[in-house]
Amino acid sequence: MSTPVGRSLGWYRVPVVVVAILASLLLIVPFLILVATSWTGGSFILFPPEGFSLQWYTEVLTDSRWMESFRLSLWTATVSTAIATVLGTLGALGLTRVRSRLAQRWIRTLFIVPIALPPIAYAVGLYGVNMDLGFLRGTLVTLIIGHALVALPYVFVIVSGGIARIDPALRPAARTLGARWPLILWKIELPALVPYLLSGALFAFVVVFDEVVLAVFLMPPGEQTLPLRMLNASQEAFSPELTAASTLVSILAILVLAVIPLSNAVRRRRARRAASARPAERTPALEGVTP
Amino acid sequence: MTTPGTAMPRARGIAPVRRPPGTTAAESRWLLWPPLVFFALALGFPLVTLVIQSLEGGGSAYIDALDVPAFAGSLMRTVVMAVVVMVLTMVLGTAYGLAVVASPAWLRFALLAALILSLWTSIMVRSFGWMLLELPRGAIYWFLGLFGLADEPIELYQTTLGMYPAMVAVMLPFAVLPVMSALQSLDREQLNAATIFGAGPLLTFRAVTWPQILPSVLSGGVLVFVMSLGFYVTPLLLGGPGNMTVSGVINAQMNQANRPDIGAAMSILLVGGTMIVYLIADRLFRVSEKWG
Repeated sequence: MSTPVGRSLGWYRVPVVVVAILASLLLIVPFLILVATSWTGGSFILFPPEGFSLQWYTEVLTDSRWMESFRLSLWTATVSTAIATVLGTLGALGLTRVRSRLAQRWIRTLFIVPIALPPIAYAVGLYGVNMDLGFLRGTLVTLIIGHALVALPYVFVIVSGGIARIDPALRPAARTLGARWPLILWKIELPALVPYLLSGALFAFVVVFDEVVLAVFLMPPGEQTLPLRMLNASQEAFSPELTAASTLVSILAILVLAVIPLSNAVRRRRARRAASARPAERTPALEGVTP
Repeated sequence: MTTPGTAMPRARGIAPVRRPPGTTAAESRWLLWPPLVFFALALGFPLVTLVIQSLEGGGSAYIDALDVPAFAGSLMRTVVMAVVVMVLTMVLGTAYGLAVVASPAWLRFALLAALILSLWTSIMVRSFGWMLLELPRGAIYWFLGLFGLADEPIELYQTTLGMYPAMVAVMLPFAVLPVMSALQSLDREQLNAATIFGAGPLLTFRAVTWPQILPSVLSGGVLVFVMSLGFYVTPLLLGGPGNMTVSGVINAQMNQANRPDIGAAMSILLVGGTMIVYLIADRLFRVSEKWG
């Protein structure tokens, strides 16, 4: 029950745990309140909610504007995710083949930098590109590319974590047997990386699907992605419709991301059944939490 | 955020195999060039456009930018906010990470569930939640009312005081995750050894646990700091017009004042500042390697 770290803290763990419980309330309470206001029977945001009804959910799901935004977000996020997944994986694989340590460090930093890039400044830059290149105006190209860049680090990080766990003896072995690098890539590395690719792609998808700042600047007039519609709605009037939409989006994200730990669990069970006595690599608690 | 790439080889005491033997130049060219070209296009092109746009008036946009009265204030406010949020999330994040490994199973499950849930829901949705809490007749008002503590509507919404808890809550997961993965790869034998030699909890923590998780605490803090510098949504929703961050001022220049050159100049300053902080921290604390 108690881990070595827990034991080592002695009785000091009590205040630590109390602080953590309070912090977890910061994390969870706002979300619960948001969900609660969405099932109100009245037409205003109220806490505690008046009665229980799902009328606002039907409202959102039958409103063509919300659904149009949803579809728009869905396909743009899918395209961006596909780009980010391919390029992030290539980058993670390519990085392991760079000879110089220094170059390796810089390239790694470059691939992670988009996380630290202030979205608004990047959005202003992309907006400038949009204005300069007339053929891009009114299209979603810059939005999709920008989102792909924002999502790329997540794929890169997760796939890199997977590469670190491939048995380093496999490549030389395959090479000795005469396989050239495309074959090694296809037969050895990519199959081993599939689960990481999948979780990287899902995480990237959720990040892109929720991204709003780029959309503020880059959406052609008249079209709104789902987060943009939510942001605009929140600036006008805070209605139960908005909290219902937020709840639906969150549930969707949770369902999508829950695929990762579930598939990991299935894989672990299968691996265990295969009776390979490999030691467990990590404690299961972190699976799916760390991108 | 995942450390196995760096932590596992270190724990085993083997140098990580960086470049598997027998790789060819063609290989790294084909694999690495597509993403690098993409970066040049998707990152380089907008940044160059920003530079050109900001220099259109011969550099006067930068002087104008610094003359915008809201800008200097917002710059100050943004840096202060980023520092405060960084420190608070580092403290809370360390406690959270420690509590996850130190608490009984049911509590660990609850803590992890709260963490995962908030990591998986969008920042905007969580900010909406905070708005509902802080509205004059929102959930906090109702809660205080239960104890008869709130006679009149509370004034938290769109104040500085109201913005900070939301910022901390939104950023907390990014500080917790590195600490948690560092704690998971902690060398247990060292802890046992400390106990056997009679070290108390404080000494064990100071001499064994803390040095091993410090790099992760720092890299989580750097990440939170850098992300807070460019933060837009939460300050917009919860800080209100009195708490405009640099992002908010840039947005105002672009969409209200209609001065894209000033907006571009401010963006360059923001990107430049953020990147300098990030690169220095990266060299010092190897933030990127904590991730890969």
